[in-house]
Order: sequence, then C-alpha cells, then structure tokens
Amino acid sequence: MLWLGLFVLLPTLLLIVTSFSRRDEMGRVVYSFTSENYIRCFDPTWLTIFGWSVLYALLATLICVLVGYPAAYTIGRANPKNRRLLLTLVMIPFWTSFLIRTYAWISILSQEGLANSLLLSAHIVPTPIGMMYTPFAIVLGLVYNYLPFMILPIYTSVEKLDNSLIEAAYDLGAGPLRAFSSVIIPLTRPGIAAGALLVFVPAIAMYAITTLMGGGSNPTIGEVIQNQFTRARNQPFGAALGVLLMLLFLVSFLLLGRKKSTAHVA
Amino acid sequence: MKTTRSLILALLPIALAACGPKSTSTTANSPSPASTEEKKLNLYCWSEYIPQSVIDDFTKETGIKVSVENYSSNEEMVTKLLAGGGKYDLIQPSEYTIEALIRENQLLALNPASLSNLANISSEFRNMPYDAGNKFSVPYMAGFVGICVNTDKVKTPIKGFADVFTPAHKGRIVVLDDAREITSWAFAADKLDINDVTPENLEKVKPMLKKWLPLVKVYDSDSPKTSLKNGDVDLGVVWSGEAALLYKDDKKFAFVLPSEGSHLFVDSLAIPKLAAHPQNAHLFINYILRPEVSRKISEAFPYYNPNSAARALLSAEEISNPASYPPAQDITRMQTFRDLGKQAASIDELITQIKAGGK
Repeated sequence: MLWLGLFVLLPTLLLIVTSFSRRDEMGRVVYSFTSENYIRCFDPTWLTIFGWSVLYALLATLICVLVGYPAAYTIGRANPKNRRLLLTLVMIPFWTSFLIRTYAWISILSQEGLANSLLLSAHIVPTPIGMMYTPFAIVLGLVYNYLPFMILPIYTSVEKLDNSLIEAAYDLGAGPLRAFSSVIIPLTRPGIAAGALLVFVPAIAMYAITTLMGGGSNPTIGEVIQNQFTRARNQPFGAALGVLLMLLFLVSFLLLGRKKSTAHVA
Repeated sequence: MKTTRSLILALLPIALAACGPKSTSTTANSPSPASTEEKKLNLYCWSEYIPQSVIDDFTKETGIKVSVENYSSNEEMVTKLLAGGGKYDLIQPSEYTIEALIRENQLLALNPASLSNLANISSEFRNMPYDAGNKFSVPYMAGFVGICVNTDKVKTPIKGFADVFTPAHKGRIVVLDDAREITSWAFAADKLDINDVTPENLEKVKPMLKKWLPLVKVYDSDSPKTSLKNGDVDLGVVWSGEAALLYKDDKKFAFVLPSEGSHLFVDSLAIPKLAAHPQNAHLFINYILRPEVSRKISEAFPYYNPNSAARALLSAEEISNPASYPPAQDITRMQTFRDLGKQAASIDELITQIKAGGK
C-alpha cells in the first residue's frame, strides 16, 4: 500500500496539481489555479498530433501481432529443449540499451547507410531512398523495440495450448485453417490481448525512439509532452496533456476489462 | 491465464522504464565541511562539448570523481536546475541564460583567488555585457550559428537564411531544436534586432516562421552534424563547432555566416548557488582554463576558443577552419543574446505551436 501511495498516487496527484497551475518566465511552476492548460489541450494542433500518435501505435501493434504471433507460436510449439534457447534469442536485444539499438537503426537506414548501400549495389534502386526521419522509420523503431512484449505473452498462451483440443478439431473434420481460426486463435486470445496492450500503451507515449527516428518534424504526443518539461519550459501544459493521456488509458483499460468479463460469461 | 498475468506484471516495469530513458540523474550525498569537500563533482553540461578524456585526466590528477549529465538547450538546463531535481555543482549556460540566472540570484559568486588561470581568457571575453568582470561565469567556448552546406548536393549559392528556407530545400534541412535560436534567425531575416523581442515583433516574424519550419526535416541540437554526414539532409543551420567538424573530415561541407546577420554565443562555466561541491567546481574551472587542456577541447570540439593562450597552441589547419575562426571583422559585427525576461515564454510557445504544425 505504501509502495502504491509513494510511486503511483503521489506522482499522479503532483501531476494533477501542476496541470492546474501557471508558469513563470523561467519555467518554474506557480501554484495559482487556472484551467487554461486544459483548454489549450483541445487546440486542433495537439489533437492532430495525438491522432498521428495513435495511428503510429496502432500500426506498430498490428505489425507486432502479425510478426510476433508466428514467432511466438513456433517457439511455444518447439520441443522444450529448443524453447529456452529461442526465448533467450528474443530477449537478447534487451541486454543492450534500447537507445543504442535505435542508434544502430539510424546507421542502417540513413542515406549512406547499410540498407541503401545494399539496395544500390544490388541495383534494386537507382538512388538512395530516404528512410530515416519519416513515419516509416518511426513505426519501424516502435515495432522493433516492442516486439518482445508481444511475443512473450502470446508465447505463454501458446505454451499452455491443449493438444487434445486441436486434435479434436481435426477429428471433427476441421482443416488446418479452420482449426487455427476456431480453436487456436480463441485459446490464445488472452496472450494477444495482453501483448497488444503492452505494445499499444507505451507506444503512444514513447518519445525517445520517435525523436531519434522521426527527427522531430513529425512529432508524437510523447515528444510534445517531453518538450514541455524541458526546452519549452511549460510544465503545467505538459502535465495537463499527461493527465488527459492517463485518463484515456484508464478509460480504455476499463472498457477492455468489461469486454473481457462479458466474453467470459458468453 | 495466471502465468500470462504474472508475466505482464514482471514486464511492466521494463516497459515503463523504456518510456523515460533520458533521466539519468545522479544524487549527491550530504557534503562534508567546506574545507575538505568529498571528492565528487556533479557536472551538468551540453552534450558533445566536454571531451571524456579531459574529464578523465582531471579525475586522475585530483582524485575527484566527476558525474556528467547532458542537456541540449539552455531552457532544458534551467528547468531542471530550478526544479532542484539534481544537485549540480557546475553548469554550462550561454550568455543570455547567465544573465537570467544572475538576475534570479541562482549563481554563486566565483572566488577569483581560485581561478589563477583566468588571465588566459582573451580580454574581449573578460568583460562581456551579461557578466562584466566574470563575477559569476568563465567563458568555456564561444561560437556562432551558421549555415552548413553539402556543396556536392546543393549547387545553388547559399548566402543567407532566405536561401536555405526555400521550397526547393523542403525535407533537406536540419536546424537546431532551439526556440530562441530559430526565432532569432527570422528576426535577422526581417531586419529586426534579435534582442528586441516584443509581442508585435513576434507577430511580425510569425508568417515567415510558418513558411520556414514545415520545410525542416530534422530538429537536432545534440548532434546536427549526424544527419548531414549521413546524407539524410543537405544543408542546415547548426552550431559552428559542428560545421567545423564536418569540414575537417570532408571539405565538401561549407560553412556560411548568414548574410542577414549572425550572433556570437558564449558558453561559460558557472556554479549554481546551491552547489554541494563549489571548491571542486572551482578546481575544475581552473583546470579547463589551462592552455594545454583547453587546446585538447578545441581539438575535439572546434568552436571559437576564447582562451588565447590555448589558441596559440592550435595548428595552422585548425586556425584556418572557416567554421571555427571566421574573419575577425565578421565577429566584431555580431551581437550576443540578452535575457528576454517575460518574453522568453512567448518564444517557447510560438515555436512549440508552429513546429507542431499549428496556427
């Protein structure tokens, strides 16, 4: 309880108080009540940026499911001896700071980078493609960094799959496709849902990867918030944006939870 | 289901930690009595500015362990300093920020007796308007903000900001991620005094900024040379030291002082009022002022060195780098940024909004 109060309630409270405050010209928080930060949040500028951030996160989540599911399934169905090795391979990138891994992508994707020199020397493209500092690079960075968060929960679901149920499906005349869509997918749904949540939520608010890969000219909402706390020196506005983002997550969590419990009943 | 949930719980902290990577703060223990400070120094400085080898040599000589934290804009540094998040012993503000910090009574008056090497700083840098007589700050490096052009890719002559920010260069430009800087370029292009920041003048330059910023591909104050070097952009408005590094490696990177006017920045070392290790900070400043140390810094980060004793040690090639040492008559024409007081907030807001693509 103390832990919860210290690390969850107190910071949240501080954020809420800050979001209703003003700033002075040095960027210090002045505790006098105002609601103008929240009014400013609904400016179309921020709403557009927020829309893009959601889109990037959704796209990243979708790609993570498409790429992560086969990987998780293969690992989960592999013989137990290889399973641990494969899982370790998924986790190995985590042993390095994600910033370093992101910088590695920069040197791969830049105009004079690895990818372009390969494409050029193979005569696939006549001139280098601008891949860095584009929405493509942002989504790639998100997918790359969050993929393990998708693979691991799906893996735990796949691992627990009851083989007899799949065999039953075949016995009852289902083809592989039917068995997959009617038996395997529903049984591993909890893993997919958990993975999607673990990817989608942090991906919306991510700022470090998106700044490095996006160059700051396609800012995400995470970058805008981070900027308010640093160079833009407007902590109250940043706090207001943060509170709204938190509310949004809370609402989607509640909705998702409700859907899950009704699904259980059904 | 239970294992899924416990796995999620186990991973959640990692996911959360991944969202906030840049907060690497150091905490100082309570300081020992003034005369015998513990052997620690918490340095808060610009990224890509103080070579690690210089810091290591300082530690080797004095036994003082230096913790380094970086920032990429004065505003960011001030925010963290005033929030009291870290106990910093030494900061590296630029001229207008020094002025603001002095006004806010946030800097410790320096002890001249501990800074025997101050005389190495050339006289024109020892009496700057923001801190006459170096009561609170000692110049570290000076420099300019100018245009860096990849002449292999850009064939049209580039003389000033107006030539950079044209539709032909859309998606090929890198600029500093710094609201004060960006605004000052528009002021210069509009023939306004860069320090005459009033609501009317900001309104005046707004249309120009709204035309300029959508052309920009990369905002980077940490290392604007990276995107130029990698070929992802072809020209940019960058720190002179960054342009000098590019020129040193490859002569295709030309440095141009904008015809509309440029300004001189002076990044200095200063000690925050609440520093826990002010004596160690003095030791570090005096160490940096040594000609051979300052010369090493120039080698790694070729800005305009205000240390004339160090400049005498530079090679002919270093001195002739046009981004490091432009013609003297150009420098004397340059202004420095002054503290803007309340208007600083308007600049922050204006650039935030335009960068985000807003009205």
